[in-house]
Amino acid sequence: MNIRVAGPRSWSGPRNGAPWVWGFAAAALVWLVILVISGQGGGQTVSLALSLAPYLVIVGLGQMLVVTAGPGNIDVSVSSIISLAGFVSVAAASATGSAAVGILAGIGVGVLVAAVSTVAILGLSVPPIIATLAAGLVASSITLSTANGFTAVPDAGLRAALNLRPAGVPVLALAIAVLTVLVAALLRRTVYGRSLVAVGQNRRAAERAGVPVARVTATTYLLSGALAGLTGALLAAYIAPSADLGTRYLLDSVAVVVIGGTLISGGRAVPVGVWGAALFFILLDGLVNLVGWSTAAQNLLKGGLVLFVLFLAGGGDRSGGLASLFRRRPRPAAATTTTTITGDDTDG
Amino acid sequence: MHVDNLPAGGTAPPDTDTGPAGRPPVVTARGVTKTYGRTRALTGVDLEVRAGEVLGLVGHNGAGKSTLMRVLAGLEPCDAGTVLVHGAKASAGDFRTVRMAYQETSLCPDLTVAENMWVSSRHCLPRLRWRRAASDAVGRRLDEMFPGHGVSPRDRVEDLSLARRQMVEIARACLVDRLDLLILDEPTESLGPDAARSLYAYVRRLTEAGTAVLLISHRIREVLSVADRVAVLRDGAVTAERPASGLSEPDVLGLMGAHVAAAPTFGAPAAAGTAARETVAELLGATGPGLREVTLRVGRGEVVGLAGLAGQGQQEVLERLWRPVRRDTTVGVSRAYVPGDRQRSGVLPLWSVGDNLIVTALRGIARRGLRRPAEERAVVADWVKRLSIRGGAEAGITELSGGNQQKVIVARAFASPAGLVLLDDPFRGVDVHTKTDLYGLIRQEAAKGRSVVWYSSENAEMAHCDRVYVFRAGRVVAELTGEEISEERIIGVSFAEKGEDD
Repeated sequence: MNIRVAGPRSWSGPRNGAPWVWGFAAAALVWLVILVISGQGGGQTVSLALSLAPYLVIVGLGQMLVVTAGPGNIDVSVSSIISLAGFVSVAAASATGSAAVGILAGIGVGVLVAAVSTVAILGLSVPPIIATLAAGLVASSITLSTANGFTAVPDAGLRAALNLRPAGVPVLALAIAVLTVLVAALLRRTVYGRSLVAVGQNRRAAERAGVPVARVTATTYLLSGALAGLTGALLAAYIAPSADLGTRYLLDSVAVVVIGGTLISGGRAVPVGVWGAALFFILLDGLVNLVGWSTAAQNLLKGGLVLFVLFLAGGGDRSGGLASLFRRRPRPAAATTTTTITGDDTDG
Repeated sequence: MHVDNLPAGGTAPPDTDTGPAGRPPVVTARGVTKTYGRTRALTGVDLEVRAGEVLGLVGHNGAGKSTLMRVLAGLEPCDAGTVLVHGAKASAGDFRTVRMAYQETSLCPDLTVAENMWVSSRHCLPRLRWRRAASDAVGRRLDEMFPGHGVSPRDRVEDLSLARRQMVEIARACLVDRLDLLILDEPTESLGPDAARSLYAYVRRLTEAGTAVLLISHRIREVLSVADRVAVLRDGAVTAERPASGLSEPDVLGLMGAHVAAAPTFGAPAAAGTAARETVAELLGATGPGLREVTLRVGRGEVVGLAGLAGQGQQEVLERLWRPVRRDTTVGVSRAYVPGDRQRSGVLPLWSVGDNLIVTALRGIARRGLRRPAEERAVVADWVKRLSIRGGAEAGITELSGGNQQKVIVARAFASPAGLVLLDDPFRGVDVHTKTDLYGLIRQEAAKGRSVVWYSSENAEMAHCDRVYVFRAGRVVAELTGEEISEERIIGVSFAEKGEDD
């Protein structure tokens, strides 16, 4: 049924409820199930989830910005960036002896790869999915040639800091919580953020309203690349650099954005939702491991979840995400037949 | 179904004594109410559309016309009240013979004309070889309605001009086998005068065959000349229903609640200072796709009109001024743009009125990339009040009626500090009252030293300009100043050399 009326339903304003609660609700549910099955202290599970989730949150925030830029915008180079940034940051840190330089190097690599994508998207009008895929492939091949005979080890100080958990609360989680707040403020309180949300809603209208669409798009991809690079740098210090360090983060980053309540068609970003969805995913991993499912089965489950959420959200329909399922829609009984009678009012 | 053999009727009003007064009603609305969010669109409408009549429906934007039509066409349920089709309570299937042609066309832009017919009229097309059948049907209907339309069923809708899209939209509504009620929403806003005449001739033939037609238009004179009866909608209710014969335009405007200020004049621009004004934008012999050797100048505080038939290069000029990348164009000030196609290039649908209004101005208000919410709110509140935008700053933009949305888009441009405001035929389908407000706004802002370049498909609007360039086939064919600007003069110049049609 493809009736889309340029009516009140198109607007999902503040009264539309909070789309981010569902991720947290799902996370809580999985946590309860884990608690029941394992019968062990739930606090430990939460603490573990909080130390793993931040990595997914960082890359997810970048992906969220890209998705918010409107239909067709996606960054599929994040996984390759994470892997490459892991190697580069470890190498830089061990060469200079400074963890900070390592992290900056990781971010720099992310920005560089994203710059390639950006040039392709804006300069050559390549669709974003192809452009980022190509840039990702370039990054991957560099990663593979670097991985051969790589001997440097991650900075011990940084690793210790990432493992720091006073009173069970990981320091990294707090830092990334602050980062999330900053991204939320970026979207609400800055000219760039407003411009991005405007471009995502209606690119043409934003352009006519004086928004520098190309600059906003470029900034967005570069930010996503930088955040993916940061993820890679931290992850390599936390685990170890490897060629498939970032592999799982492609699907997961898109999934946490969508489950978090950000509109896949753009124009509405929900930074807090990324946290809820990331915790949900990490806990789900734990649960599936506890039950003893294979990796293939895990991926099947995750893919199915993403499709399910997109189905609930109406497949990119702007009419209000999850909440719309539970709200009575003022849809006329006649609507099912009106396509054949009076024609539908397709406004998009 | 085929009206091909019907006698071709003229546009002359029918003899009212044998009029359709006694005929059975096709669709009847009783006490219909409808609320969107915090906007009460309909507050209790009673209306009857009888077989074989043309009922004109007039009212301000925001009076509830669009909503009422949707309810009558069975597209929206009403909150309270009933809609009867042929005297019986309507169920879904009963609306099959009620068809509507939209003002902002509802065609799928990526599909061809024939494919669009299938989308809306599957049930009267064969399952196999439907494409051929649809092409034949729409071709035949277009030939009947708009001789010389120049549309091929294989054209992609996106590639058609606005006028042709409108023709296809109307033809599509008339495609069904049996048509009891045809609803036309501002059908002539994007049609040329010839096409409008053909349309109304066709409407006459339809009504003679017993079809009822509901005509919604802001062009009161047009409604009066075509309709048998006129219903006035005001604040969501029908406040008057009169036979069209004997009504005059001021009567209707009075019934609509307009303050008939006899063609308001806003301190007709001082023609004297034109030459002395400092130039803010200039095209020198601009040539390119759609433009040939166009030279024009915009002075500070000047309202410059771009007139002529639709699509003669006016929009290309606006495009040049909006993005002055070529060397033949110089623009010395910042610009703001008011698009005419508000659904596609105006409205940011997820945002409120306030967010939509401030999006351009916030760049100027912000300090080092950070927004200043208090200042923004003050500006928004000021403009919402100044243009009395219904619903206020907090309402969702899509909850507003078309005219109020357009006010927001206009306010967006004027709230910015731009020195040059480009208007791309923004007042199509906006009611008289709102238009008058906006004309006043343009003159006020010009008096403050802002320049305005204004393309309009409605020549009467050009009277509010200081200077008017008339375009034909990508060239400037005349420059009119002050007293010279009149509808007759513009039309005269537009057609001066045997105007090739289209």
